[in-house]
Amino acid sequence: MIRLRNVSKTYKGNVVALKDLSLDVAKQEFVFVVGPTGSGKSTLIRLLIKEEKPDNGRIWVAGKDIGQLSSWKVPLLRRNIGCVFQDFKLLPNKTAYENVAFALEVIGRPAHVVRQQVPQVLDLVGLTKKRDHFPNEMSGGEQQRVSIARAFVNRPLILLADEPTGNLDPSTSVGIMRLLDRINRTGTTVVMSTHDSSIVDTMRRRVIELDRGVLVRDQARGVYGAFT
Amino acid sequence: MALNVEYVFRETVSNLRRNVSMASAALLTVAVSLTLVGGALLVKRGVDRATVQWKGNVELSIFMKPDAAQSESDAVDRQLKSMPEVKSYRYVSKPEAFEEFKKIFANEPDVRDSLTVDQIPPSYRVVPREAEQTKVIGQRFDDTAGVFRVSYAKEEVDALVSVTSFLQIMLWAIAAVLLAAASLLILNTIRMAIFARRREVAVMKLVGATNWFIRVPFMLEGLLQGLIGAALAFAVVWVGRDVIQSRIAGARNDIQLFKQFLVTGSDVTGTGILLLVVGVVVGTVGSALAVSRFLDV
Repeated sequence: MIRLRNVSKTYKGNVVALKDLSLDVAKQEFVFVVGPTGSGKSTLIRLLIKEEKPDNGRIWVAGKDIGQLSSWKVPLLRRNIGCVFQDFKLLPNKTAYENVAFALEVIGRPAHVVRQQVPQVLDLVGLTKKRDHFPNEMSGGEQQRVSIARAFVNRPLILLADEPTGNLDPSTSVGIMRLLDRINRTGTTVVMSTHDSSIVDTMRRRVIELDRGVLVRDQARGVYGAFT
Repeated sequence: MALNVEYVFRETVSNLRRNVSMASAALLTVAVSLTLVGGALLVKRGVDRATVQWKGNVELSIFMKPDAAQSESDAVDRQLKSMPEVKSYRYVSKPEAFEEFKKIFANEPDVRDSLTVDQIPPSYRVVPREAEQTKVIGQRFDDTAGVFRVSYAKEEVDALVSVTSFLQIMLWAIAAVLLAAASLLILNTIRMAIFARRREVAVMKLVGATNWFIRVPFMLEGLLQGLIGAALAFAVVWVGRDVIQSRIAGARNDIQLFKQFLVTGSDVTGTGILLLVVGVVVGTVGSALAVSRFLDV
């Protein structure tokens, strides 16, 4: 589903974000990406949605070499990938329902599809009752659920989550993880970067550890800090 | 992928409603700046009209010697008839000129009674086709037999010609500068309005909206703002012209001069249509350009 070969990325001022990274993620896999701040986790996610271009190396997503993708096809790539962020990135002037519906509307889905899909996915994340609330009227966990609903409403092949529990307390985080696990079980590949050791240790999924842009560990059913 | 019309329409309306302050700032900017442009263009039309009238009133007089022979007078007459620069002319005979003279000096009997009909020079009053040709025509008769003197308001004509051509160039320049300033101002306002919504654009990109899909509602908004703003400018210019024109028409004769600054209804309509076109084009293209800055991957 995701394949990287010898991918390097250096930002301005010789900041090395990724160095010669090669990686394969199979369909329906659940992968944690761990490592200290600045180890290249976020860069990896930005490369996968082609928000950044690698300096070297090639990246395949869903069987397509995204380096060869012409710029007008980038939106089509992004429709196959749902994204969840630490800061939710919800639109403050839209309700929960509208935020989710927005994701379908802007890719041109007809109104009847929107009316059918949005309540369904809001039910999946357990927010049916809060559908008409604005983001500032919801808790952090609820906002993250809206953002997961938005990422998933289009039934993407891949869900990328960049520290989705970074702003949430432990018990709320557990709920979010259950949700991501459920989504994974529907057949969606999930790649999640995190700092949260307890989550990684309880889930026991594949763990990829990055350190200053270098892959230092790739372990099936791993834990957060294997070498410490 | 068909454009979801319902989405585009709803999004445009709700964006305009939610961003009332930004939208009205853009709209008012369009209105104010286009009003200035329209005003400048109309003043220019007025000056054009007045110039035509002023220049049409330029005259030169060829005074014959009081004792000039009839043949000499006929020669001047023939010459005038043959000149293409001459629009019209008429002969003022001695008795007519004497009447005029008496009228001018009616309050000064000493002067009035000092001359007799025979001492008054008859003259040709010539209207040139173009005010600029006055000088050329005059020079032709300077040395003609029987001509006493060629007289016209030389400095005044020169001044009129240079002032009006300067005025016209100035007004063109003012209108052009105002138009450019208006375009930039409108562009900038739209860019600010869109900058305020860059989060929205970022989310749209994230979920895979195509660039055109993102652009269209913004362009529609820009179009509406440009259109409404230009319509406001149109209305202001229209009402302003009416008010000024009726003031002038109602004024006393001593500002007769201003009555020549006539601007017709069709001038206003033409200018108004120009404003509408400019408003729509700048609004739409401006929005498209402004949003493009946030679309680069």
